[in-house]
Amino acid sequence: MSADAPMLAVFYDGASNRKHRVELQAGEKLDIVEDGVVLDAWVFQDIRRVDGDMALRLTSISAPPLARIDIDDAATAERLNALLPKTEHLQEKRQTVRIIGWSLAAIASIILMILYGIPFVAERLTPLVPRDLETRLGEAVDSQFLSLTGAKTCSGIQGRRAFAKLMQKINGGHPVEAEVLSLDMVNAVTLPGDKVYLFKGMLEKAESVDEIAGVMAHEVGHARHRHGLETLIQTGGTSYLLGLLFGDITGSTAVIFAAQSLLDASHSRDAETEADDFAVEAMTKLGRSPVPLGEFLKRLTGDQTATILDSHPVSSERLARIRQSDVKTTGPALLTDAEWDALKDICKS
Amino acid sequence: MIFSGPKGIFVRLCIRGGLLELVTLGFYRFWLTTDIRRHLWAHTSVGGDPAEYTGRARELLIGFLIAMAVLVPIYAGFFVLTLEAERIQAFASVPLGLLFYVLIQYAIYRARRYRVTRTVWRGLRFSMGGSGWGYAWRAVLWTLFAALTLGIAWPWRTAALERYMMQHTAYGSLQGEFHGKGWDLFKQVWYLPLVFPIALILVIGLPVIVAWFRAIEYRWWISNLKLGDVSFECDIDNGDLILPYIMVWVWSAVAGAVFFAVVVGGSFGIAYAGFSEEEIAILMQHPAAIAGFAGLYLLLAIATGVAMRVYLMRDFWAKIVSMTEVYNLSAADNVEGQGELASAIGEGFADGLDIGGF
Repeated sequence: MSADAPMLAVFYDGASNRKHRVELQAGEKLDIVEDGVVLDAWVFQDIRRVDGDMALRLTSISAPPLARIDIDDAATAERLNALLPKTEHLQEKRQTVRIIGWSLAAIASIILMILYGIPFVAERLTPLVPRDLETRLGEAVDSQFLSLTGAKTCSGIQGRRAFAKLMQKINGGHPVEAEVLSLDMVNAVTLPGDKVYLFKGMLEKAESVDEIAGVMAHEVGHARHRHGLETLIQTGGTSYLLGLLFGDITGSTAVIFAAQSLLDASHSRDAETEADDFAVEAMTKLGRSPVPLGEFLKRLTGDQTATILDSHPVSSERLARIRQSDVKTTGPALLTDAEWDALKDICKS
Repeated sequence: MIFSGPKGIFVRLCIRGGLLELVTLGFYRFWLTTDIRRHLWAHTSVGGDPAEYTGRARELLIGFLIAMAVLVPIYAGFFVLTLEAERIQAFASVPLGLLFYVLIQYAIYRARRYRVTRTVWRGLRFSMGGSGWGYAWRAVLWTLFAALTLGIAWPWRTAALERYMMQHTAYGSLQGEFHGKGWDLFKQVWYLPLVFPIALILVIGLPVIVAWFRAIEYRWWISNLKLGDVSFECDIDNGDLILPYIMVWVWSAVAGAVFFAVVVGGSFGIAYAGFSEEEIAILMQHPAAIAGFAGLYLLLAIATGVAMRVYLMRDFWAKIVSMTEVYNLSAADNVEGQGELASAIGEGFADGLDIGGF
């Protein structure tokens, strides 16, 4: 094609989809001419390339937004390209480095929020949550927990009396509601709203009142620090932020889950240590050694190697920590032998 | 209709986008989605004129942020409501999940509206009005009805909802229309639920049955679309989408096998190097080992993502476009523009609620 062959194109004015078969004439501006009539004239500086599956598709930022010139012929497109000084694509210029930079900044801020912000907020927020709300929350968790596990509260009269006496001694200041549940699992839990459940399985494994007293003091420690509520705030906030972070990368759910369990485990190890400290203090006040608690835990779990996935510190570490208190038993027994026997039989009736 | 997008370019686009998603932990998704749509739209021509996608990644990002601002209080309110309900009766909060179903339907409508109004052909954009909530409550009622009839009413649900969408769609002054009948779709797919249990047992049968269903649905959908006097006919065969589905399956399996081999091989390597059991336990928990494992896992996820985009988006698109014939296209000459651009908030909701799509 010679240099002065007409540059043919199709022009859409952006108001209707009428196909104008035009000739492009490059002068001061790019004239768009149909049958000798100038339909429009585009300033070269304003012309931008847009997507299209042909040789070239142009628009102008000073024309109606959808006005287009379609050039089908490769040679014409080449000639036009030479005429257009440094035309850019209309789509925002892809500054990938900037996108990555901002994304990394966002990621850093989210991670800092998860590691420091949320634990801080959860800790400060927990005392501010009204007891009333926490009790409601506890009741909701409670009814779900009971219906999921199918557990019943043990109601042996003598046993309940003994248990109440024990809890009375441990509780001190503000009371914690405690029950024994007919579950064979070796565990005890504290729900939000100061409700403590001791499972039958744990009671059966205990060899002395002091062991159970230690466990209950530990749970009361959780309640006193409102750990249940704190965990709830923390987990909610963390999982929300993690979800935001990973967005919709396929398969990210597993990563979120893994990160969540790592974070939860590390938070809860701190909480366990706090509860142990409370138990040591409570037992000391009663004149009983807290060491049986540590030994009981060690007996239950045996020796293990610590992993970062554990929600509890390793028993031997806990025992060592509890031993540091170095308190000897000086006070009276917490329950009489008869009361202890009754407590052990609490689920029998 | 013709699709002329080179596969190599698309594959490169997906791999690059997937890696950037990894680097930016997902924030790049708005740019990748936009790139994919631009590629598909630009290489699709109707009557010799290619379409154009005018949406911007930045719009999607802003839409997402706005949706988040709305969704956060909704999630919080939902949490409090759940609490109250559970207090009265355990699991009483389950019906509250319906709220999210409504929101998802709303998002589906608004997301489609965004895409439709960003579609340009011959210098004129498509438009879509109607109301997201109007669509949402229709969808909820139809879903309840379909549930009550054990899914038998599902084709009629699809037809009714598509009718609502198309009634509010237009190309310039050409009014959209959908005249598909639930019965026509039902006639073609009724036996699929019956074959389903067998397909499940055969494992590989599952992608086949899904591909079979999708092909029937696309054919029924496209052949019943109208814009003014312009109509469409899709001749896709029931089995035409099976290969792409199987390919995704194969590629995911290969990627999974490689991942597995690397992990197992690595473990054996460590064991062979003569570490004690305790040392191995410590080594496995080393942050570097965990980060390596997580990185490998994400790489696997990205490989699967690329396969899904190439086969289930691009190849589907290419197949369906090439099997579609447009009739009476001259009715689309000299059409006057109308309609407004819709915001990307719906897409943001869809993203926030984890709904996939083009």
